[in-house]
Amino acid sequence: MTVQDILAAENELTHLLGAQQAIVLSTRIRLARNLEGYPFPGWAKAAQRQEIAQKCWGALEKLPRFKKGHFLKMNELSDMDRAVLVERHLVSKELASGKSGAAVISRDQTCSVMINEEDHLRIQVVKAGWHLRGTWNIAEQLDDALSASLKIAFSEQLGYLTACPTNVGTGLRASAMVHLPGLCLSRHMEKVTRALNQDGLAVRGWLGEGTEAAGNIFQISNQQTLGLSEEVILKRLGGWIKVLVEQEWNARRKLAQEEGARFVDRLARSLGILRHAHLLTSAESMNMLSHLRMACDMGCLPEVNRHLIDRLMIEGQPAHIQARQGKECESEKRDSIRANTVREALATFPEVVSPTI
Amino acid sequence: MSKSLQCQLCDAVATVHLTQIVQGKVHKVHYCEACASKGGATDAAVFQLAEAVTTVATQPTITCSSCRFNDLEFRRTGRLGCPDCWPVFLGALQELLAKVQHRLQHVGRAPVGVVAVGQLRHRLHEAKTEMEIAIAQEDYESAARLRDEIAQLLTQIPES
Repeated sequence: MTVQDILAAENELTHLLGAQQAIVLSTRIRLARNLEGYPFPGWAKAAQRQEIAQKCWGALEKLPRFKKGHFLKMNELSDMDRAVLVERHLVSKELASGKSGAAVISRDQTCSVMINEEDHLRIQVVKAGWHLRGTWNIAEQLDDALSASLKIAFSEQLGYLTACPTNVGTGLRASAMVHLPGLCLSRHMEKVTRALNQDGLAVRGWLGEGTEAAGNIFQISNQQTLGLSEEVILKRLGGWIKVLVEQEWNARRKLAQEEGARFVDRLARSLGILRHAHLLTSAESMNMLSHLRMACDMGCLPEVNRHLIDRLMIEGQPAHIQARQGKECESEKRDSIRANTVREALATFPEVVSPTI
Repeated sequence: MSKSLQCQLCDAVATVHLTQIVQGKVHKVHYCEACASKGGATDAAVFQLAEAVTTVATQPTITCSSCRFNDLEFRRTGRLGCPDCWPVFLGALQELLAKVQHRLQHVGRAPVGVVAVGQLRHRLHEAKTEMEIAIAQEDYESAARLRDEIAQLLTQIPES
């Protein structure tokens, strides 16, 4: 199994028609876990890290969910392959930049477990659209299955013991990737971010910590992990996502109403540029694809095209383009390949019409 | 033109100049921006980097007996060394935890096979208080639910 297999395989986030939803792109659960009796990866010696990896790897191999999955050691992958995994959110930048980590990814790419990242184990479950309960249930099952065969570091007072004080307790980071062009265009994002921060939720760009919100996509997640039960954390995130979705719809409707022809014109121009450009930077294509995604949500373009837009967003990232070419390319070459792919994909797209919602 | 100072850790031009006075003696250190920021750019971290040249060691005050991790390392990385570090560093981390976390008592799941008695006791205490409030507010429905929960918790907690 190679990274090329991951790229070639159809999966929920890029291909599954009907799984995509307006506004919420995906739901993610992450659990941080560590083995008892070993230093955390950042402080462990190479031999200890290897021992940890063997134990975790062995436990994961036995789980039915990872049958025929991808078992990847970071030191056996090329720079490009590792970058693809980061762009897919299957592994973190931190894991990819070190050589001693490993990742186990389920065949359908819904579940992935990072070994020897900041913690010994980072269990991750991702589903397209808004499925907090379903995602959580899978993560809980994986967690139970792993803790049945591995001795997990846990304390009554502090819960699951993690390398960083910001993860101790439940070790749970629940998040949603949300597409908020309406709130961005009406300049409400700053206010929204402040409100979310005040209630203990973090707002990040689409590649996580320290990244910009390309394509008006934001990752919303809980910050606190100790002193709140998983149930409370999930409920709080769920409550806020519901509010955000409502606010985003309101902002879009208001924009469409107030701007009239200018609103449709903006979306149509984006389609025009994407359909005819010969060079597209990553940022430009993300922002214009964001307009098209909003157009699909609002009936300006047929909804069935939404999954294609999501796929273009994911596959238009630099490492994805290079991996498809099988070699590294200069940024202008990448912009040209990106533009060609987008042009071909959108060639048969219908015209943008006035919103129906 | 005068010659620029060289970074003490690499060959680049030094742009960060620090003066440290230790026991009445003045030590000057010069770093390029990259080397200075590698050290975290905070005074403590930069001076830690400076140890080699100034021969003044900042002594760790807390060390984990299991993995030999110390508080200087924590200041550098913001992460602990091993699970056993937690009880060792808990006192020193109280302030930080109070800032970033909700409360210093875990109330969530536990690994398979671990009965978190402390958690159950904690919940029992909470439920009793909640029941008293419910009764005072004449919310008998909630009070009955809490009474059942308390009975359930009491069966789970082994008698000490």
